[in-house]
Amino acid sequence: MAVQGIWSGTISFSLVAIPVQLVTAVETGRVSFHLLHKTDYSRLTRKMICPEEGTEVLRNELVRGYEIAPERYVLMTDEELESVSPERSRTIEIIEFIDLKEVDPVYFDHPYYLVPSKGGEKAYRLLAEVMRRTNKAGIAKFVLGEREYLVAVKSSEGALELITLHYSSEIRHDTDLAPKKDAVTADEDRRVKKSIEKMMQEFDSGKYADSRRKGIMDLLMKKAKERPPVEAPVTTEEEGEGPADLVAALEESMRKVKGSA
Amino acid sequence: MAAGTVWKGIIHFGDTDVAVKLHTAVGEERIQFHLLHQPDQVRIRQQMFCALENRPVSAEEQSKGFEVEEGKYILVDPEELEQTAPENSRMIEVHEFVKTAQIDPLFLGRVYYLEPDVQTKGYAALARALRELEVSGICTWTMRKRSYLGALQTSGNVIRLSTLRYADEVVAVESLALQDVPLSEKELKIGSDLIAQLTVPFEPQKYKNEHEKKLQEMIEKKARGETITVLPPKRLKPTEPDNLLQVLEASLKKAA
Amino acid sequence: MSRTFIDMAGRRIPLSNLEKDLYPSYGFTKAAILDYYRGMAPYILPHLKDRPLTLKRYPEGVEKGSFYEKRCPSHRPAWVQTAEVVHDTEPMTMCLANDLETLLWAENLAALELHVPLARAGSPRTPDSMVFDLDPGEPAGLLECAQVALIVRDLLSGMGLASHVKTSGKKGLHVFVPLNRPETTFEDTKTFSRAVAMIMQKHYPDLVTGKMAKIERQARVFINWSQNDASKTMISVYSLRARERPFVSFPLDWRELEEAAGKGKAETLQVTHAEALEKVRAHGDLFREMLEREQKLPHL
Repeated sequence: MAVQGIWSGTISFSLVAIPVQLVTAVETGRVSFHLLHKTDYSRLTRKMICPEEGTEVLRNELVRGYEIAPERYVLMTDEELESVSPERSRTIEIIEFIDLKEVDPVYFDHPYYLVPSKGGEKAYRLLAEVMRRTNKAGIAKFVLGEREYLVAVKSSEGALELITLHYSSEIRHDTDLAPKKDAVTADEDRRVKKSIEKMMQEFDSGKYADSRRKGIMDLLMKKAKERPPVEAPVTTEEEGEGPADLVAALEESMRKVKGSA
Repeated sequence: MAAGTVWKGIIHFGDTDVAVKLHTAVGEERIQFHLLHQPDQVRIRQQMFCALENRPVSAEEQSKGFEVEEGKYILVDPEELEQTAPENSRMIEVHEFVKTAQIDPLFLGRVYYLEPDVQTKGYAALARALRELEVSGICTWTMRKRSYLGALQTSGNVIRLSTLRYADEVVAVESLALQDVPLSEKELKIGSDLIAQLTVPFEPQKYKNEHEKKLQEMIEKKARGETITVLPPKRLKPTEPDNLLQVLEASLKKAA
Repeated sequence: MSRTFIDMAGRRIPLSNLEKDLYPSYGFTKAAILDYYRGMAPYILPHLKDRPLTLKRYPEGVEKGSFYEKRCPSHRPAWVQTAEVVHDTEPMTMCLANDLETLLWAENLAALELHVPLARAGSPRTPDSMVFDLDPGEPAGLLECAQVALIVRDLLSGMGLASHVKTSGKKGLHVFVPLNRPETTFEDTKTFSRAVAMIMQKHYPDLVTGKMAKIERQARVFINWSQNDASKTMISVYSLRARERPFVSFPLDWRELEEAAGKGKAETLQVTHAEALEKVRAHGDLFREMLEREQKLPHL
C-alpha cells in the first residue's frame, strides 16, 4: 500500500485519539502526455529555477517567505508555521458531529483519505463504523502547512474521508440569481420531467473516463496518420570503442569467430 | 454580492435549451507565501527544463507529445485535445440524468452558480424538475479551450454546475488496503450514543478562520525583528486498542 | 459493457467485455487473452516478479491505437502489489505482477503487452542481465537478425559468457546475457554492450550498426545497446505482442536459429500464442537460466 502521505498526526473525538496519516484521494488525470522541446523533441522536466542564477534549485535550498514590501520577505520555517496554532497542527479534534445532508455541496473543497497508523486500526474502524451507522460526519479544524482548514470527516466504504470545506465567509450568496418571475406551467413541468425521465441512467464514473480516453485515442490515431511519430534525440553519439582492455579482448574473440566461419 | 460572469453557455438536452451565465461560487483571500532560494532570497520559478541543452524552455518552445513507443511521440496541439465541442460552442450538453444520491462527493469539484441569461425561458422549469426528481444532469462543455465533465444540480431555485472528477483520477477505497478489525456490539453502541450526544445542526457561519489572524500577527512580529516563541505542536497519546471500550464509556459520561 | 467477476484464492477479479475481439483480423477475444496468460502464468510470473510494470494498453483492440501506463491505476484492488519508483525526479507508484490475480487484472485492462526494466524494484540500479536489442532496418529482417544474433553469441562465448535469445514478437530478436550479481551496474552493461556493438559494426559494416541515427540503420541490423539503462524497459518474455496476429516474445533454442539462418528462412521463428503454450508445456521455461545463472562481465 504505497499511497502518498501528506501529513501525519492524530484524529480525536471526545477522549478517543487515533493515530493517522492524511493521503491523497485525487490524482491528476493520467493520460500520459509529456512536454517536449519543439526544436528537437527532447523531453522536458519540471524544475525549480533561481532566476538570478539561472540554475536549478534543490528542495533543501528552499525557504518560505511572505512579501511585506517589494522583494522584501519575512521568512518562516516549518516549525514556526506549526506553532501559529499548535493545538491544531498535529491533531484533528472533532468537537461535534453533523448530518451531511444538511451540508450544501458548495461547501466542499478538496477530498483526502485518512489511513490509520500502527496501533490505530481498531479505533479507526470504530469511528468509521459508528459514523456509518448513525449517518453523521465529524466537523473539525486543523492546520496543514500554511492554512487552517475547516473539515468534515465522513465514513466511506469503511474508510475515513476528510473533505476540506470553505468557510461561509468565502461562499457567495446565490439567492439573487434565481429568476424573479418565472411561473412554471403544468405543461412545461410535465414536458421537462418526461424529457429527463427518458434520459435516466445509473451513475457510472468509469464510463465517462473510458469515453474520454477513447476520444483521445481517436484523436491520436488521426494524428498518427497525418504525421508519423517523432523521435526524441539520441544523447550524444560517443566516439571511441570503449575501455582498451575490453576492446582488445573482444577483438581477440572476434578473430576466433571469423577464423572458424 | 454577485460576482462577475465567468462564461455564458446554453444547457441543452432533448428539445430543452436554457441560456445561462456562470458565476464562481467561492472567493478566497488568503495570506500567500512564496518559495524563495535560501542564499539570495529570490523568488524561484517553476519552469520546464531541457536536459539536453541544459536550460529552461519557454512555453512557445514547447510541444505536447503522447508516447506511443519508447522515445517516440505523436505531437498533439493542446487545444485539439481539449475540444469536445466545436470551436466557440457554448453548449453545455447533457448526456444523461442520474439520481443525485448516487454521486459521491468525492467526485464533485468546483461549483458554478447559473443565472438565467437575459430572455431565456425554461430555467425555473428545469430547476423545479431537477429538485423534485432529485436528479443531476451529467454534461460536458468546453470553456476557454478546456473541456469539462460536470453535473447540473439544484440548490433551492438556483441551478448549479459542478465539475466532476473522472474515475481514473480518484483513488478507490480498495487501494488503501485497510484492515478489517472486529468490534464488539458494546463498543459500537456506546460509540453511536456518543456521536448522538455530540451531534448539532450544521451552522457553517459559526466557524471562523482564526489562524489567518494569528499568522498575520506572527509575520508582523518577525518583520519588526521581535523574537517569536516556537511552541511545539500539541500531540495526543493514541488510545490503546485494549482500552477503547473504557475510553468510550468515559467519553460518553463526559458528554452527557 | 458486460461485467462479471471471478473469485480466485479469496480475491475478486473484475472482468469486463470478455467477448470483445482485440485482434479483429485474426479473431482473438479478451477471454482468449486471459486464457493465454492464465496458461502462461507459471512461466511468465517468475520473470515479472518485482519488476515495475509498464502496461501497454489496447482497450479498443490492436488496430485502434494504444497508450502506455506506467502509473498503477488508482482503481486497483488492494491485493495488487506496488513499488515506489522515481521517474524523472517524480515519485510514482507502479504495479508489480507478483501473482496470477494481478496478471489477470492487468490483462482485463487490455494490457496486451507487458514491458519491464532490466532490474528489480528492490535494486533498481542493479541490472540482472545485459541485453542486445536487435532491430532490423528495412529491407533487413528477422533473417539478418538471426545471423547477427549467432555472431554475437559466438563473440560472447569467446569471452566466457553464455547468452540466450528470444523473439521480440515483432521484427527483431533480443539476445540476453544473464548476470544476477549484486555488484553489476548499468554503467557496466552499457559500456560492455556498446563495445560489442562497435566491434560488430567494425567487422560487419554492411550487416550491423551500433548507431541510432536513422540513416545508419537502413538495410542493417541495429544493435541497440542503449537499452541497458535503468529507465528503459523491454517486452517481457512470454508477453503477447499487439500485431495483427497474437505473436509472443518467445525464447528460441540456438539450434533453431542456426537452422533458420542456414536455410535462409526466418519467418518460422515467430511463435503464436497457441504454439507458445504448447512449447512451454512440453519443454518448460526455456528462459529459466535468465533467473538463475550468475555471470560476471570481464575486462571492466
